[in-house]
Amino acid sequence: MKWLGLGLVVVAAFLGAVVLGPVHVPLAGLAASDIVRTLRLPRALLAFLVGGSLALSGAGLQALIRNPLADPFLLGLSGGAGLGAVAAIALHLASPWALPLAAFAGALGATALVYRLGLVGGGELDPRVLILAGVAVGAFAAAVTTAIVSLSDAAELRNTFLWLWGGLSGASWDSVLVLAVYLPLPLAVLFAAARPLDLLALGEEPARHLGADVESLKRRVFVAASLLAAVCVAVSGVIGFVGLVVPHAMRTLWGHRHRPLLPAAFLGGGALLALSDTVARVAVAPRELPVGIVTALVGVPVFALLLRRWTTS
Amino acid sequence: MERRHSLRSHTIRLVALAAALACRPADHAPAAAGSTVIDDAGRTVVLAQPAHRIVSLSPAVTELLFALGVGDRVVGRTTWCDYPPVVRLVPSVGDGLNPSLEALAARRPDLVVLYRSPLNETAAAQLSRLGIAAVVLRQDRLEDVARAARLLGRLVGRSAAGDSLADSLSRLLAAPAPRSRRRLAFVVWDSPPIVIGAGSYLDQLATLAGAENVFHDIAAASAAVGLETIATRDPDVIVVVSDSAEPRPPALARRPEWRVIRAVREGRFVYLVGSLFGRPGPRAGGAAGELRRLLGQVTR
Repeated sequence: MKWLGLGLVVVAAFLGAVVLGPVHVPLAGLAASDIVRTLRLPRALLAFLVGGSLALSGAGLQALIRNPLADPFLLGLSGGAGLGAVAAIALHLASPWALPLAAFAGALGATALVYRLGLVGGGELDPRVLILAGVAVGAFAAAVTTAIVSLSDAAELRNTFLWLWGGLSGASWDSVLVLAVYLPLPLAVLFAAARPLDLLALGEEPARHLGADVESLKRRVFVAASLLAAVCVAVSGVIGFVGLVVPHAMRTLWGHRHRPLLPAAFLGGGALLALSDTVARVAVAPRELPVGIVTALVGVPVFALLLRRWTTS
Repeated sequence: MERRHSLRSHTIRLVALAAALACRPADHAPAAAGSTVIDDAGRTVVLAQPAHRIVSLSPAVTELLFALGVGDRVVGRTTWCDYPPVVRLVPSVGDGLNPSLEALAARRPDLVVLYRSPLNETAAAQLSRLGIAAVVLRQDRLEDVARAARLLGRLVGRSAAGDSLADSLSRLLAAPAPRSRRRLAFVVWDSPPIVIGAGSYLDQLATLAGAENVFHDIAAASAAVGLETIATRDPDVIVVVSDSAEPRPPALARRPEWRVIRAVREGRFVYLVGSLFGRPGPRAGGAAGELRRLLGQVTR
């Protein structure tokens, strides 16, 4: 029943994203419309994949760090991506793929640094150190970014931030294809980690006694979740809130077991972002809202309702 | 908010005009006469005598000062000031935003002209405390430039030149070129797509060139819009303003999602150099003529 409801929400969000837009396309002409085929369809797919990846990444990291505030962008990733993007513009790399690639590289660089700092003692990944390292690396990257922006002459730099906090306007079949090739591996790693993550929720010692390879699990989840978030930054900038709140919302409906939780988070995140992007495109047409604003405006009330229901029951 | 803001600036404009009219008789007095003006931040600026050492913190003001015939009095400029070319010989004091007071004071100016922004208003107040006269001027639209020309003319003892420059700009605004029915969209950024709306100087420039900005209905100076909106409004030409001197095809021309727009598909672009087109100034008439010529070159 719950799954059917979620499925319907996903289908509705996806159809809405294709049918609705600032420009009216008659239903009969939908399939033949250039606007639908070249713009709306890839954008709806991208929104779904990015939203799902962010939510799944958030769910994985929350389980790994055992902190409800964990979020793909808390671990230095957005700071690194911003630094990469700003550096690309400051170095006048003009190719259309330069900005996403540089942001991706920056995000991975920051993540690698956080990972290295998170390895303490005999090479164990300590969640508490991980989160502190993430905040520190993020702050450092943000400082370097601000320094570049304030010392550089390029007026384009200001717009880098628009891109970074941007959204899905750069969607094309190319970017969908990139995700289609890239996503399966990290997705599979995270889905496969569902059962051991349940054990980890009991604590590292009990999980170890129950036969989980805790060290390898933590590494796999951290790397896969970071890879997911990094590619999301590269194709759509930093879209906040989805990775933080969707996993919690899904936990109120599916509980703490990761086998149902992870796929539900993926579907819910995808539906939320597709829906939010439709609102962002349509609400103030012909202008467009940054999608991150809408994810918060749509998501917070829903989350508050679920939270209420969950705490009273 | 926007409306209140513009109402306020309108009031300021009226006050400034009244002040300008009030000190008109002084124009005919001997050259040493001082002047009192009210700037666009509502501050009263008093000069005992015409300014002789001027730091200009905006490229448009630098151009205005040269147009008023007092270019030789400019003793400091911004990194962006590149016209007329001779101004490059004047020391730069920074980028004009949040200026360093020490760098300004070191030029020993008797007048500093700043672009209107909250940070610059603070800087102007601090300069006043140092005993350096500072005026804050809006320079967003051609009307602002006309008003700035009058006000600066008064402050440098060239009221007649300032008024005549302002009048010629007002005449330019009152008589745009005949409509060519060329429809254009200014794209200033590609991801997210940002276009120019009616609030911008570029929109004025399009009208002056006889063309129509397809996003004239957006009141703001610029706004993020969807690609499908641009595609449906179907401009004849995409106009790209770039900071670099040599025009090169924008990266967006090569991206598949942009090719939904007919003008992109058919390669109908016009490139404008920021130093002439990106700032409202005394060369606006020339800029409008050049835009008209460039638009005429694009085959339909």
